[in-house]
Amino acid sequence: MTEVLDFLCPRLVGKRFEEHAVPLEVLKDFAALEEMMTEVAKWHYRKEHPTRERLPKGFTEGISIKLKSLEDGSVMPKFVLVVAASLAGLLPSENQQCFEKARESIISAVDAAEHSENITTHLPDSMLGYFDKIGRSLNDDEYIEFRPTNPLRPAKLNKETRKKLVLASSQTQFYTEDIQIKGIIPEADQGKSSFTIELIDGARILAQLDDVHSEIIMGAFNKYKKQQRISVKGIAKYNRYGSIQKIESIEYVNLIDELDISDRLEDISKLKDGWLDGKGIAPSADGLKWLDETFGVSYESSLPLPHLYPTAEGGIQAEWTLNDWEISLDIDIASKIADFQGVNLKTGEEEEGIYDLSKKETWDAINSAIRNKAGVLA
Amino acid sequence: MKSGTLLHRQVHPGFIQNGKISSQAFRPTPKDENKLSVYNGDMITAEKAYYHFCKQLNYSSAGVMSVTQAECASQSLPIGEDKIPFPEHCHINFEGLAKSQIEKKAKFLKNYAESRGWQFRPE
Repeated sequence: MTEVLDFLCPRLVGKRFEEHAVPLEVLKDFAALEEMMTEVAKWHYRKEHPTRERLPKGFTEGISIKLKSLEDGSVMPKFVLVVAASLAGLLPSENQQCFEKARESIISAVDAAEHSENITTHLPDSMLGYFDKIGRSLNDDEYIEFRPTNPLRPAKLNKETRKKLVLASSQTQFYTEDIQIKGIIPEADQGKSSFTIELIDGARILAQLDDVHSEIIMGAFNKYKKQQRISVKGIAKYNRYGSIQKIESIEYVNLIDELDISDRLEDISKLKDGWLDGKGIAPSADGLKWLDETFGVSYESSLPLPHLYPTAEGGIQAEWTLNDWEISLDIDIASKIADFQGVNLKTGEEEEGIYDLSKKETWDAINSAIRNKAGVLA
Repeated sequence: MKSGTLLHRQVHPGFIQNGKISSQAFRPTPKDENKLSVYNGDMITAEKAYYHFCKQLNYSSAGVMSVTQAECASQSLPIGEDKIPFPEHCHINFEGLAKSQIEKKAKFLKNYAESRGWQFRPE
């Protein structure tokens, strides 16, 4: 027999949680939280019994934290404290009490970080390093409320508060964060099992070359002169000043198609007004985001990708060279209206049209035209 | 100016992706009064035109591509040897054309220039 006690019911907020589901990588954060909870419980015991040299035998045995359910209404994983029958009684056992104190200390530390208060009044230096593993998977728009029923002090853990918690420890010189970057590979050292990724701004970051990803990375290295880009998702190590030191581990690596739409639009998004020798309006971020999503959804994946260029007017021009045809789609990303023109350079034949790219049938026509000129079978 | 005279056009880095240039490199904007600026190849080499454009005028160029006077004539595009604001300056005149016609002729000019290849690219 065991006793099951309500223990913790945080609320997860952000786009990824809107479908009442928890991504697996976020569960890793809670696994790290359990590890921290156990260590903080031990710290509480030692603090309350300063004369005892050791923890009581089996202090952490027979007690564990488990995910019981996802509460209705929003994404609120319900964690319970499972206490073995031998420990359960009329009064809470001492180790159970220490786990509950640990929970309160951790939540109070998060709350203190959110309100820029003194964090180390709740947790010692040595425990704060655990926050390096907790909340690392959160995206910019996501957070965890550890006191969701308290609207004034919800104890919000997000990227910012997590960084404050980790760096509040005087022992911590580095912290880690999930990272997704793009770049080219100028250096790879198979002897040292390392490689360097060069970002678009020229910055170079050292990373571990592991067996799983070495084929793709060496392939990109061999195509360095052709500027073959890769996308890397992994965990990066930063110093206290926020400078990236290296990539500690890699989750995945992808080769980026040289005409990848998202990649190209990301480059174009860096343009500023006046980019064309003083003229040239920078395309809007919202417009580029819309175009990226629209292309992803509406342009047939079997068709050749276009080259994309900014226009002086703040739009985007997509261009295809298909057999004897030169095709352009001059897109006004504000109005979502595009001028289509195809010219056969041998015959002078011409096709034109004005398309509303917010409509599906428009894309059917564009796909059909490209398929026809490229000689791709439907 | 002879029919084979090269007209050097500076290609802005924004109009290149993976070495492929946009037809916009050969299309004037309305702000250019539909006149596309080029250098007279009878008076200046592509390399010197590049350095004049980048170093003296302080503009951006990824390199020089060129079309001939005859290729412009085949698209019914007259050349104006205006020599303003510097003696080697000319323009390909797109005045009076509708936007779609300008774009169509720009595609042809780009194709002529691409067939000829880069006339100068900095190291």
